Formats: sequence, C-alpha cells, structure tokens
Amino acid sequence: MRKFKSIKLFITGAALLSVLIYACTDEFVETSPEYSIDSENYFNSENDYYYALIGAYDILQSTYVNAILGEIASDNTLCGGENATDVIGWQQVDDMIHNPVNSNLHDIWNWMFAGVQRTNYFMEFKDKMDFEGKEQMIGEIRFLRAYYYFELVKWFGPVPLKVDERFELGDETTIPRSPVEDVYAQIEADLMYADSVLDYTAPALGRVTKGAAQALLGKAYLYQEKFDEAALILETLILDGPYSLETDYNKIFEMEGENGSGSVFEVQYTDVEGASFDCLQCSEGNVAVGFSGVRGYEGPLFSPGFSFNVPTQEVVDEFEADDPRLGVAILDIEAWADSTGAEYNTGYEHTGYFNRKYLPRKRSANAQGDLNLTNPNNYRAIRYADVLLMAAEAYNRGNIDDGIAQGYLNQVRQRAFGDLNHDILLTGSALTDAIYHERRVELVGEGHRFFDLVRTGRAADEIDGFEAGKNEVFPIPLEEIQFSNGNWQNNPNY
Amino acid sequence: MFLIVSFQVFAQQVTVDGVVTSADDGETLPGVTVMEKGTSNGTITNIDGYYQITVEADAVLQFSFVGSKMKEIPVAGQSRIDVTLETDVIGLEEIVVIGYGTAKKKDITGSVSVVDNSTIEDLKPVKVEQALQGTMAGVNVTSQSGSPGAGLNIRIRGISTNGDASPTVIIDGYAGDLGTLNPADIESITVLKDAQAAIYGTAGANGVILVTTKTGKKNTSPVVNVNSSYGIQETTRMLPVLNATEYAVLLNESYAANGQELPYPDVSLLGKGTDWQDELFETAPMNNTDISLSGGSENTTYTISASNLNQDGIIGGDKTGYDRSTARISIGTDVYEWLKLNTSLTYTHIDRKSVNDYALGSVLFNAMNMPPTLPVYDETGNYTLAPVNGLGIEIINPLAQVANTYNDYNLNKFNGNVGLETNFAEHFSATARIGFNTSNSDFRDFLKEIDYGGKVFDHSFSSVNQNRINDNEYTFDAFVTYDNTFFDFHHTTVTLGTTVYKTWGDGLFGYGTDVPYNSWDYASIGATLGGIEEQTAGSYVYDQRRLSYFGRIQYDYQAKYLLSAMLRRDASTKFGPNNTVAYFPSVTAGWVISEENFLTSLDFIDRLKIRASYGILGSDKIPPYQYISQLNGEATYVLDGSLVNGQAIGTLPNPNIKWEESEQIDVGFDLKMLGNRLDINADYFRKTTKDLLIPSIPVSGILGTHAPGAASPTINAGTVLNQGVELAIGYRGSINDLVYHINYNVTYLQNEVLKVNNGTGFYPGGVFGVGQPMPSRMEEGYPMGYFYGYETDGIFQTQAEVDAHPSQIDLGAEAQPGDIRYKDLNGDGKINEDDRTNIGDPIPDYVMGLNLSFKYKGFDFVAYAYANIGNDMVRNYERTQTDVNRLDYMLDRWTGTGTTNEVPRITTAATSNNVFSDFFVEDGSFLRIQNVQLGYTIPENMTQKVSIQKARVFAGVNNLFTFTNYMGYDPAASTGVPIGSGIDNGFYPTPRIYTFGLNLTF
Repeated sequence: MRKFKSIKLFITGAALLSVLIYACTDEFVETSPEYSIDSENYFNSENDYYYALIGAYDILQSTYVNAILGEIASDNTLCGGENATDVIGWQQVDDMIHNPVNSNLHDIWNWMFAGVQRTNYFMEFKDKMDFEGKEQMIGEIRFLRAYYYFELVKWFGPVPLKVDERFELGDETTIPRSPVEDVYAQIEADLMYADSVLDYTAPALGRVTKGAAQALLGKAYLYQEKFDEAALILETLILDGPYSLETDYNKIFEMEGENGSGSVFEVQYTDVEGASFDCLQCSEGNVAVGFSGVRGYEGPLFSPGFSFNVPTQEVVDEFEADDPRLGVAILDIEAWADSTGAEYNTGYEHTGYFNRKYLPRKRSANAQGDLNLTNPNNYRAIRYADVLLMAAEAYNRGNIDDGIAQGYLNQVRQRAFGDLNHDILLTGSALTDAIYHERRVELVGEGHRFFDLVRTGRAADEIDGFEAGKNEVFPIPLEEIQFSNGNWQNNPNY
Repeated sequence: MFLIVSFQVFAQQVTVDGVVTSADDGETLPGVTVMEKGTSNGTITNIDGYYQITVEADAVLQFSFVGSKMKEIPVAGQSRIDVTLETDVIGLEEIVVIGYGTAKKKDITGSVSVVDNSTIEDLKPVKVEQALQGTMAGVNVTSQSGSPGAGLNIRIRGISTNGDASPTVIIDGYAGDLGTLNPADIESITVLKDAQAAIYGTAGANGVILVTTKTGKKNTSPVVNVNSSYGIQETTRMLPVLNATEYAVLLNESYAANGQELPYPDVSLLGKGTDWQDELFETAPMNNTDISLSGGSENTTYTISASNLNQDGIIGGDKTGYDRSTARISIGTDVYEWLKLNTSLTYTHIDRKSVNDYALGSVLFNAMNMPPTLPVYDETGNYTLAPVNGLGIEIINPLAQVANTYNDYNLNKFNGNVGLETNFAEHFSATARIGFNTSNSDFRDFLKEIDYGGKVFDHSFSSVNQNRINDNEYTFDAFVTYDNTFFDFHHTTVTLGTTVYKTWGDGLFGYGTDVPYNSWDYASIGATLGGIEEQTAGSYVYDQRRLSYFGRIQYDYQAKYLLSAMLRRDASTKFGPNNTVAYFPSVTAGWVISEENFLTSLDFIDRLKIRASYGILGSDKIPPYQYISQLNGEATYVLDGSLVNGQAIGTLPNPNIKWEESEQIDVGFDLKMLGNRLDINADYFRKTTKDLLIPSIPVSGILGTHAPGAASPTINAGTVLNQGVELAIGYRGSINDLVYHINYNVTYLQNEVLKVNNGTGFYPGGVFGVGQPMPSRMEEGYPMGYFYGYETDGIFQTQAEVDAHPSQIDLGAEAQPGDIRYKDLNGDGKINEDDRTNIGDPIPDYVMGLNLSFKYKGFDFVAYAYANIGNDMVRNYERTQTDVNRLDYMLDRWTGTGTTNEVPRITTAATSNNVFSDFFVEDGSFLRIQNVQLGYTIPENMTQKVSIQKARVFAGVNNLFTFTNYMGYDPAASTGVPIGSGIDNGFYPTPRIYTFGLNLTF
C-alpha cells in the first residue's frame, strides 16, 4: 500500500508537471505564416526598396483618366461615346452637371491616393537600411508623391495630407482636409529634394529625372502664381537640361517619338499584357487611347475605339489658318475617309474630329486583348514645349521680362511653323493672350486645358455651364464624405 | 468515553462478496460494476459474475450494468450480497459521452442525440456520415456526389455561417475526420446540438460529433466477429431526355422559328438513336468485409480489427472506384487499481479514382446534352466527336471523356491515441491523453494530348499534374474531475482542464509536359520530355494552433434538479492581435418533474424531464492570417520598354479579426411513458450566429485599396439566425414473439440572415449559366444562399399580349409569342435587373426520418427512410447551345396560341428565356427509402455445434427508392457551400445497392 501510494503520488506529480510544462502560454498560438513576405518585415535589401519603388511607379498608368477627363471638362472636347449615358460620370463632367455621386471622379480620388499610399509605404521604411543609391530612389519616390498630390489638389482642392507614413483605418475620421497652400508646400518640398539628388539622365528609361522634378516644380509654382520662383526654376531647366524641341512635329506622338528629345516626363505603357474592364487601373496599356478612338474604324494607320473625347469646331478654329499642328493634333475624319477610303461609324456628339495625338494606331502581332484597353501609347506628361510656354508665362505675367518671354514663346512657334515669320513681338497683356493661345493649340488633347482655364480665371467665360465659385474643383466623392463621419465637408456648393 | 472515541476515530471496514445474475434468464453477469456509493472505490464482477469489495460498514453498494436497471443495496453489516439485475430496456442507466467526461443519459440537461451500435449495424453505412441521415432530429446530411468515396456534408441545426458550417468531430477525445473511419469500428456516435457543446468553446458553434470506437469488455472470453457483404450498384435514375426522332423534330422546329434551314429534313429513319445515359451507366459491384477479435481479462481489454471496402463506380468502369482498407488495435488496461491506460492505433489506406462528377462539364452534363442522333462511335471506330457548331466549345462525347480521364489518389493515414486515467485520491480522478492524425496523400492526374475538335478540353500537348500533401494534427487533453455527493442529496461534479490542439502540414505540386507515348503508364513528371521551362512547381504550408482552458460544474439534487455551468477560454492562431482570447460561458438546467410528488401518482408517465440551455459558442473555421498584411498586390511598370515587376501590399489586414460567435438557446423535454415503451423528445432551439466574415468591406480610398491587386479587408460583419423545433418519437413494443421498434424524428427549421454589414446589405455567390449574374445571395431578411432571379408570369400567347407588357429587351431580346413573360415587380414599366426577387432557397423547411425495426423469432427486418421538405434546387445542367438534347418536358413546349402556359417555344434565335428565373427553380422535396434489410439468424443450437455463437444472413437494398418531383438525378445532392448550394450541374446520383451478406460471431 505504501509502495502504491508513493508511486501514485509520483505519477500524479509527473503528470501534473508535464501538463504545466506542456500546456504552454498563449505564445503557443502566436505564429506567422512561413515563407511569406509580411509587409511590416520587408525592406531587408536594396532590391526590396527597388521593388517597392516599382509599385509606386505602377500607379502612374492609372492617370489616363486625369488626362482624358481633363480634356472633356474643358472647352476643347465633348464627351462623345456611344450614347448620352455611356460613362455617365464623364458625360456629367462634360456638361458641368457633375455631383458627389460620380464613379469616375471617385476613381481619380481612389487611384491617386493609392499612389500616395505606395510612396508613403516606401518612405515609412526609408531609414531601415542604408545603401548606395538610396537617395536616388528617395528622390524618385518624392517626385511621385508630389505628382500624385499635385493631381489631387488640382482636381479636389484641399485633401488630407500625410507624409512618410501610410494612412491607417480611421484616419479618414481624424485627419482634416489640409488647405491648398499646405499641400503645395509639401509638393514643393518633395520636388526640391528630388531636384537636389537626381540627374538629368535616369538609370532606366521611364524613371524620374532632374528635369522632370524641375519642370513639375515650375508648374506647381505657376499654378500658385508664384511667378518669380517659377521663372527661376524653369530657366535653370531650360539652360541646364538636355532637352530640345523635336523638329518633326508629327513624330512626337508616334511610336518612334516616344521618350524623344522633347520628353521631360513620360508615363510608360505597353501592350504585351492583357487587360479587362474588371480592373482598368491594372492595365499596362493606355486605356484613354482606346476610348478616344474612331468608332468602328477600318482603314490605314489607325485602329478603332469608343469615340470619346471628340474635339469641337471651336478648338479647330483656334488654330491659325496655316498652323501645321492642326493636322497632327486633330483628325478630320471625313476628309481622311475621303482621301484614304477609310470607313467608320458615328457615335454620340459626333463632331467629325478626333484627338489624333492619342488615337489608337495599328497594333502589333504581340498585342494582347482587350485591344481597346492595351494601347501602348505613352502619355507625354511634360513636354519641353510646355516647359518653354510655362517659362514664358511666368516671365510675362510676373512682369519680370517680356523679352525673354517672347523668346521662349517664339521657340515653340518656330518649331511649329518651321520658319521665323510667325514670331510674336507683343508685350503685356497682349503677350499674355498670345501665350494662352499658344498653350491651347500646342497642348490640345493632353489634359491641361481645364486647369489652365481655372488657374487663370477664364473658366467661367470659356466653358459652358461652368459655375464660378463651384466648378473650379471637383466634388469629394459622397462615400468619402460618409466614411469621414463628419470630419470632411464637401467643396463649396456641392 | 473510550467507546465514543473509538467510534469516531476508527471507521469499521467489511469485505463483501457475492454473485450477480440477470433477472431475465438467471445467467451470471460478468462485467457488472460494483461501486461503493459516493466514492471511487469499485470493482467489476468476474467471468462467473462474482465480485469482492472492501467497503465501510455503513456503505451502500451500487450495481450497474449496461442495459440493466441499477440497483443500490446498503451493506448493513452483511458480508455476502447476491444481486439480480433487471433488464432496463430503455437504457436509462446508459452512459453517454459528453465533452471531457461521461454522464448518464437520464441526467443530461442539454440537447444530445445518440446513434448506437445497433443502428449503425442496421444501416450498414459505407461512409460513417450516412449513419446520421434521418436517424436524429436536427441533423441534416447531404452528399456531394454519389461517386465512390465522395464526401458528405453534415449540418447541425441549420446553416450557421456563410463560411465553413461543418461540425467539429472528436473521435475518442481527439479531433479527427469522419471521412476515413471504418463504420464497423464505431461503438456509438453522440451529437451535441446546443450549449452542451459549449465546453468545446471555439470548436463548438456548429455542433460537436463525438465518436466512440469499440473496445473490448472485461472478463469476456475472446469473441471473433466476421461481417461480409456483396452488393450490386445501379443508378437510381436516368433523366428522361428526348430520343433521336423527338430530338430531330424539335430541332427542325427551332431552326424554322429562326428562319434557318432544317437540319433533319427526313426524320423517319432516325429511330431511337443513342441513349447516352444508358451507354454510361452500368451496374457495379461492391464488397465490404470486416473482421474483429475482442475480449478482456480482469484487468485488460483488447480489440483488433481489419476491414476492406471495395466499391466500383456506376459510371466509368475502371476509371472510377474506391478502395478503403483499415487495420486497428485498441487496448485498455488497469496498470494499477487506480491507474488505467488505454491506447489505440488505426491505419487506413484509401485508393480512389474519379471522373468529373459535379462541376460544369461533368460526364453526366455531357450525357444529357449530347444529341441522340450521334452514335457513340463513328465509321472509323473512334469515339464520335461532338461538333462545335450548335454544341459550343464545352460539350464532348462523355464516353470519350471517361476513356480519356486518368487520375489516381492514394492516402495513407495513421491515427491513434494514448490516455491515462487515475483516481489519485478519493473523489478525484485525473485524465491525460493525446490523440493524433497523420496522413500522406499523393495524387496524379494525366491530361492526354487529345483533339475533340475545337473544344476547351483539347490539349495540344500531354501533361501530368502530381501532388503530395502531408497533414497532421494532435490534440492533448489534461483534466481533473472531482465527484462527490454531499449530505446524501447534493451530487456535485467539478471538471477543470486544458486542451492543446495543433494542425500543420504542407503540400507540394508539380507539373510537366510531353508524357512519353501519350500514355498513363508513363505519366510521371520525371519521365516527361517537355522543356524545363514548362515544368512548374508550387507549394503551401500551414500551421494552426489552439490553446484552451475549461471548467465545468455539474450539480444535481437527488437527480431531480439538475444544473451545470461551463466556461471555456480559447486562444487561437486564427484570432487577430486585437482579439486574442475568447471566453465562452454556458449553463444548462433540468428538472425531472416526474420525480415530484404531484406527478408520481400519474402512472402513465414514467419519466418527464424538462430542460433548458443557454450558451455562447464559437467557431474558428475562418481563413488564417487575415490580420497580417501580405505583399501580394500587383506592382508592374514599364522601364526601358519592358515590363518590370515590383512588390506592393495586397489585401488590407484586419487586426480585429475574430471568431464567429453563436448564442444558443434551447428548451426541451424528454418524456417516457407506457412502461418506458414510448419515448418523446422535443426541443425548441434558437441559434444566432454573429461576426460572420464578409470580405471586401468598403473603406475610404485614402487607404489605397483600389491599387492594382489590393483589396479592402475582410471583417466580421454578418449575422444569421437559425431557429426551429425538433421532435423525436420512439415506441418499442412486443406482440407475443414479435418485437418492434418505431422511431420518427422531424425538424422544422427557419433560417434568416439578419445582418450583412458591408454597405450593400447583401453578398452574392453561386454560378448559373454562362456570363449571367450570380444567382444566390446572402442578404438581410432572407435565408442564406437564397435564389435571386426573375418571377415568371406564364407565356405570351399572342403578339397583343407582348405589346401590352413592358419591353423585355434588357434581358437579351424582344419578346415574341411563345416566350416567357416576366413580372415587372417594381412597376417602373421596364423589365430589367431591378425586377428580381426571392424565388426560392436550398434550405429544407422540414427534415424527417422514420426508422422501423421488427424482430420475430430468428428474423429481423429494418426499414429506414428520410425526407427533406421545402428545399429548392436550380436546374443548371441544360446548356444553351442550339443543338443540345433536351429533357422531355420540352415536348410540351409552346407551339401556338393556347398550347401551353408553362414551357416556352423553341428557337435558335436569341431569346430572354434563359435568364435565371423561377422557370429553373424546382421543388427538391423528397422522401428516400434509405435502407431496407431482412435478416435471419440461424438458431443457436444449430450453429453452436460448429462453435459459432451467431450466424446471420441478410439481404437488403440501400437507397431503394426516392419519391420526388425533382427532375434531376438526386435531390439530396449539394456541394455544401452556403451561398451557391442547391445548384445542380449534373450531380452524379447516389446509387441503389442490392446487398447480400453474412455476419458471424464466434
């Protein structure tokens, strides 16, 4: 009995002990998935930073909306499409009857903030490691962040600002919409840093250069009417940069002209990857190009599209009678069809004109479907001609030096007309008007017109239905106002 | 003075012995438990029914034995007590396994149902889950397919979630899987349906199935059982499709309606043509044999068993089949009087081959759609190719499909357990046990290089897929039980313990192209000749754990007032960092009213217990790592003119992710009347499950969820309610030599989704047709997975009727006379997607079962039937190509004004008749005679001469007949997914099996 008792106690004790050792603490249930990369434990090598950088570049391809909608909103083009309800969000913007329920404006908000989030993901971990070339990458990241925030402030005015850290769930109820000056201040800071660390040649074609940073900075200054700063930075770019105007105007927008001598910043696209309407922001092709194409087109040089973004007679008339840029920028479909025998259908709001710069061209054998969504045309975001005209405007409107302004303006006109007979020698407000005219005809179809009109106070006069004090910015999407739970108010009069 | 002292200090002990016999036949009873009441001091009668025990002089002895009424006899100074035990037909003393312990069936206060050994033997299920079909209230079992080895879905008290609603299966105390068990190894199955399962915490919300496997019995001489049966399987149904002549006539009409040339100008010589289903279905054999040896000595019990099941498929000849072999050993021994050890080990081997049996493009789907005018073989002796014109790119010759299917699946599994139980002190016992499962499977699938003439199944090169998967899990329990009765009336049991659970495993996949000789014999990745760039590989790994603590107090006052309370704490790897620990409390109570003075006078009531339970239970069957942010987003740009890939965040994590939680209320009663011959059990239950996971919840765009490859998080945002009534009635009686037993159970269930908090209020799922919106929804106010489509309103008979009705152009085409008319439900003058509504749901309103058994002299007869009432099924096996074959209901199509108001006209032009509407929803209610069996036991005096204790021969039919209006193969089939179930793509029907067999015991 004694022996049993002691064995009993021993076994019981051993059992209890094993239970205590084995029945572990809650640490037992804290595991993480094997072999998977967790976003919070990333950035362990230079490659990791590079891959995150690519992620931030990716979002540039979704700015096709900004380009096409920026034209449609202006007096350059009508919406077009198949009928009055085709892409209803665009139709409403065209007629200036848009409101906070607009899925396409919501796309711009969503995609540009996705871009900001990806740049801030990089910046959040920028101090985790050091390696040679890190500053270069930070420069590119900050340019991209500035690019996305510039789009946001152009389209929506005051927007929530967060730098070097990602937005977290709940920020929409606490972080306010920062005033426009603050957003621009951040944009300027980012671009000045980028300017300081980047070179005029990038490590790969498509990556940000010093010239791109300087050009965007100048543009940001110009939009704030900080003419002195704009003139200074743009002058530096013009004198130091390796850019020159392409002499063959038509070549600029063809495949051979991609990343040409006048390309200061270009969003890259390709057609070797398929795309679908389920995720337009995923497409590696330029979605705006397919949407701008001639409906049902069969003929040389071009391929068909959805007939959106159709130029008006008014913008055609804006060109001077002998301006050769008209034939490059705008396709007169009837004339073209007569001369080449091409066939086409007409869509809604058919004007007879199409945005030839960004019209779908004949596709290669490698092109992947859906062909309408995978056009490879790069978006020439900042062209040297634009830089020259911005510099001219800064020197003129800033009352700094009309002579220099004339010089830049005439460089553009000389390239356009191919001679010196079309130079402008006006000054003062007459020169301003001339510069405005030149911007319109040089940059038609590239998404700048609406914002040029708004920032120079001419929108109400030029755009039908434009309501001053309201339509200078677009409404914050209704769902975002709801998510913010009272933290954000919408733009005035929306 | 001295006397008083001695009384108080020394307790008198006496040794008592005696013999226990049965009151029925006077035979001695070995294995009877003799306990000193209120202690853990006990013994068991030996092979001669003899026991000896040393107890306190004033002790009371309890004699208990399964199937007998328990007897209590005070020692009162006697040294020899002989006892006769009366048979307790109903088994009030029956011990039932509840979580982490056992209880007498009569004392259980939760809603618990038991399937015992005899029912399992009567049903002879091929797979264990079939033993739960129609045998207990509240449990609904559906099969995924009738093909050999296919899985079954068990749902307890409704569909509790839009995720995984399967119950937890515990085998002998450790987590396991029913699908690989040999039914012959099972002693009993207990199902915990309400808060009784709360002691399983986050594994309990969908109900818990406790399986107890067979062990030997003490003091029994070795017994050998041999069971062998042979079965012939055939299909229960062939769909009534058109024969060649009818098909040609209809096809001509459809082409003519669209102004096209008639495809069969002369129909007179076509005859019947090919009956594709008849070509496919064949009878197939099934063999099932098991053998076991069990016995026990004074201290040790043992069981050793082995089995083999071999089942061919009724479709596909040697391309389908299922072979399961098991071997098992189970030993229990009393190492010391106070220390018990039990252990078991099972090995299972499964070999399975299958054809595409329930997805789109399944073999039966092809058989139904293939034109009967095509012969199986063409002039050259090869399988006829189905043309693309008129049949589309998916339909192929099903016999060719079967002939070109090559796959093989093998599983080797070990599972077992080791447990120690000790009574280390008076009233205390402690148990520690560990159970494990480890399995390895390998799968090989060969896709032959084949040309079906422009179909999606064409392969321009051969390929082979192989995978190896390793799965493991273990469960470790340790708990202490204190059991005592205070002051004679207050019986208390306290249990405290812990459970540790881990499941882990990995899978490896490989793919290679260009198999030598395009033959299955060489289909191995190592033998492939394709380029090295074509060989791809993939892998996954997983590791999930759960740590739990639990406590339970059971109290009863004289077994009349019963109360138990439980609390469980769970921590699981599935829970996010903001919700790491879950607590699950519950309470159950019972009142044996029949013991009260005011009722004991009522003779016709033998026992009436009312009970109620309330508890919070949980389910952690949610996807893992939802709280971790992974870099699986899309990051692709173009640099230097080429695509470059980067990394970006994918789905946003949800650090708040937690378990699904259900609040369960149950009120019920158990009534025994008429001398314990009539048994009535009834329950009302109400289960509200909240925190269901809803993916892609809308969040602000500033979080970047609209970036390529990104998505908004999954959050716990849904709630579903299941409530209903269960009733089970059983009657056993005898008329002279005829002993009979009737059981009927019925469950009425109402399922309603209460909340879907994702901004739209619904979540869609399921697939119907091609390119059509999803037909099923999880939506506030409707049953889970209900069908959302158009409501029909007869057929347009004249053009005037068409003109009087809003245009249906948005549905595909302008209507013409003979087309289906859809209701304009929102009255806006347009027929479009806003005119959709609830047109049915796959959840049955009533589930019932009827089990009859008769015994007369040496004969025994059983009949089991079960029914589902009120479930709807969607007919999705009709392809919308022009030349497909059709079901014969098409013979009643519209051919002119007034011909019919049910079936639309037939034409090859585009119509709106194929959109998802109630035309495709059918009532799937059915009554199935599941098992009928007649057996005869050869008289013992004859068999004993050859030392055979019992020899029984039997014959029966499994799945004899199904009464239903449903047109498809099998109204009891279901994929088991909560949103999208009840959609029939051509389910392989459960076969009818004629069996003959033999049971021997010696």
